[in-house]
Amino acid sequence: MEEVLSKINGIAVQKFGAEYAEARVQKLNKTMLTLKEDRVEAAKQGIESGAALRVLVNGAWGFASVGSLKAEELMSAVSDACKMAKMASTRLKTRIKLAKTKTVEDHVQVKSKKNPVEVQMEEKIKTALAVNKATLGYDNRVKSCTIDYLDLTGTSYFVNSDGTCINQDRLYVWSRITVTAMLNGVFTFSREEIGSTAGYEIFDANAPETLGEKVAKRAIEQLAAKSPKGGKFPVVLGPNVVGVFVHEAFGHLAEADLALAGGVLAENLGKKIGSDFVTFYDDGTINGAFGSFKYDDEGVPAQKTLLIKDGVVTGLMHNRETAQKFNVEPTGNARAEDFRVEPIIRMRNTYMAPRDHSFEELLEDISFGYYFKSFRGGQANLDGTFQVGIQEAYEIVNGEIGEPVRNASISGNTLETLFKVDAVGKDFELWPGRCGKGQTAFVCDGGPHIRVKEVLVGGNA
Amino acid sequence: MAMLEKDQMLSLAKKAVNVALVKGAAEAEAYVYEGQTINVGIERGQVTKGNRIIDQGLGIRVIVDRAVGFAYTNTIEEQKTIEDTVLRALSAAKASKPDSDWKGLIEKKPYAAAEKTYDSRILELRAEDLVNVAFDMLDAATSVDKRVFPVEGGVGAAYLSNAIANSSGVEGFDKGTIIECSLATVAKEGSKVTPVCFEFNAERSYNVDANWVGKEAARLAVSALKTKRIETKNTKLILTQFALQELLYCTLINAVKADNVQRGQSAFKGKIDEKVASENITIYDDGLFPGGLRTATFDGEGAPRQKTLLIEKGILRNFLYDNYTAKKENKASTGNAVRAGYLSTPFIEATNFHIMPGAAATEELLNEVEDGLIIYYLQGAHSSNPVSGEFSVVATPAWKIEKGEITHCSRGVMLAGNIFEALKNVSAVANNERKMGQLIAPWILVENVKVIGK
Repeated sequence: MEEVLSKINGIAVQKFGAEYAEARVQKLNKTMLTLKEDRVEAAKQGIESGAALRVLVNGAWGFASVGSLKAEELMSAVSDACKMAKMASTRLKTRIKLAKTKTVEDHVQVKSKKNPVEVQMEEKIKTALAVNKATLGYDNRVKSCTIDYLDLTGTSYFVNSDGTCINQDRLYVWSRITVTAMLNGVFTFSREEIGSTAGYEIFDANAPETLGEKVAKRAIEQLAAKSPKGGKFPVVLGPNVVGVFVHEAFGHLAEADLALAGGVLAENLGKKIGSDFVTFYDDGTINGAFGSFKYDDEGVPAQKTLLIKDGVVTGLMHNRETAQKFNVEPTGNARAEDFRVEPIIRMRNTYMAPRDHSFEELLEDISFGYYFKSFRGGQANLDGTFQVGIQEAYEIVNGEIGEPVRNASISGNTLETLFKVDAVGKDFELWPGRCGKGQTAFVCDGGPHIRVKEVLVGGNA
Repeated sequence: MAMLEKDQMLSLAKKAVNVALVKGAAEAEAYVYEGQTINVGIERGQVTKGNRIIDQGLGIRVIVDRAVGFAYTNTIEEQKTIEDTVLRALSAAKASKPDSDWKGLIEKKPYAAAEKTYDSRILELRAEDLVNVAFDMLDAATSVDKRVFPVEGGVGAAYLSNAIANSSGVEGFDKGTIIECSLATVAKEGSKVTPVCFEFNAERSYNVDANWVGKEAARLAVSALKTKRIETKNTKLILTQFALQELLYCTLINAVKADNVQRGQSAFKGKIDEKVASENITIYDDGLFPGGLRTATFDGEGAPRQKTLLIEKGILRNFLYDNYTAKKENKASTGNAVRAGYLSTPFIEATNFHIMPGAAATEELLNEVEDGLIIYYLQGAHSSNPVSGEFSVVATPAWKIEKGEITHCSRGVMLAGNIFEALKNVSAVANNERKMGQLIAPWILVENVKVIGK
């Protein structure tokens, strides 16, 4: 495979005058399940293989994707890619250039305790049915349970015209459980995701019964919850909410492509944008974490990237193109969902570093506020406006956790909010998720519990 | 890769069904998909890239002892891959669990023609044509105001075709085209950057207005430069199509899906013929809307697409069904099974969710507002409670309306409420409908929504 790809790159450079060429090939197997209560809607197995050819001609990118590995299809795709690049370059003022990287030759094999390929479909269905049973059996007010399951295995080849040649295996196991509950016209909703690059052993750490019960309990608890008051309040955020805050409110702004696109971070490099307690990383090297990999889709090794240290912006997440623009080393953040799309800058495992407070210490000075434990969704804008919707929340009254609260959300401006982080816990959790930026990427977000002096809470009461 | 012809795709689908039946399936269905796309991308004010994507594949659904198995492949050049895919679908079905409610695949029914969904001119577009459209759009945007910076955008053209066959005699082929141009901009003044403002135009035939997209995206960004704070109170909102699409996708559209209703996770369960919205609201799901972005001849299971009345002057009339949920109630599918190409089994989704326009011109709608907001872009709508319809979102930004005039904008404004309550409080509907994804809708005026200012 590598030789063919190397030849294709050669054609791009010699025949079509490309400054740079890369070929990415994937052969993937997927197993998927959808359960609606105890109905298995379908047991699904898919095979996908294809190639992505990306070239730089006259300073513009050309890209072609084809669902075939036949040499003549690859030849025609690389010719398409070069034509596309030439056309795109016609009015280019600033030519795209790439940061230099060390060439790599490597074969990365996955070693997992329980490779999902070796787990029978029957077993996977049994596990999902057990989760379902635990949710519906928890309480008769639980009305529905939807379980999605995916495992993805396979291998990918990356060869570029600089001489890098990588064969890297892929393995992902993911599941999402959503539960609804109802009582007297009140509807509640609860969701949990698990995900790993280690293997099917993730279901050993998350036993189906425990997992199901946890999701169901949250939906039931919300039935009796009240709406939050709208306005500014002190809050304690749990690791799950801190994670999504770091990811949405800060992480996207620290993606160098978005920073260059007018985001607020480009002009804040080296400046203090948060309190002394704020230190963030984006780390692709955590063993087994959902956002980890050895090489990104430009063949650059993943690394642990420091984004903010003690409130000061220290770096951004880069691909080779933005690294060249900022005159820094690429950070290994170029990721493509599959061979159908080109790599773009994506997060990996993004988190806040823990400090020294206990959970009780975070609560104790708050006379009235909210504890936001688990998020439902989040989103941010380039101007730094963020929103995080909350699926599990409680009042904090006189330093103690009070009654449950439902359908809250928080919002604010990232740069203002980071200065309001006034205490950071010593615990730490990492949560798997899927991030959408036109393409889907598997990531983790996390951190410790933290306290924020004041944040805008959207509520109806 | 050569484009697949109608006969090739149909014969592939029929062959796969036959192989499945021979190998032991009680029922079988095959879906063949092809997508050919070219697009050019804009980054930071210039055209920097061109992409060409060819994607073909085959998905096979088989039923063995009332258990459903599915397999797909994107290698369809050889006979052997059909057989292998059938065998994988069969093994999945055998591993799966029988479904006592399974009442068979869909039967053949006549199809109505889908109108204005295919334009051969789009097929002939080359990269340089798209680059020229992108230049027009960029030039239009920057001509509006020099403080405008086009962040990203693009122009794309696609040809999509699919064929379906099943063991109950269903057989269909459909093809369509789509062209889209989009631009996201910010306006910058000193150190001030506006939120991203976005405009687009997508059509099934080759008549996109790139100039309008560029100008409109720029106009919105410039108008977001002037900001003032806003107080917390209940107020009137004009929801534009952008805001409606975000809010309804996660809430109302979920509530009218029959599987959600049957599974007790719809607020509309048991509410047929009851009032669920203001009498100003009439909604069809129109799978045959001429030129609609989701218009097609048949759905993902081969059921004919149709026009379904969902809400009539505020009264709930029907839900969206696929074959499975329809048979459960001894009804016919409304043609709302949708697939993500060859990669997925069918699932229920709206086609063209059409909120019928009213009589009011946009100026008249604005004139109804003495003091209120007009909302384009929302953040966090996907974090709404999909069952209860409760939302708590941020407008990025919200534009203030004073005495019928849009005066300035306000950032970080939160809106909280319940979408089903909001639908009851729709006091007027404008006449300016447009297509946006699966939504075809005008602006609507909603009374009494809670707004939380900074």
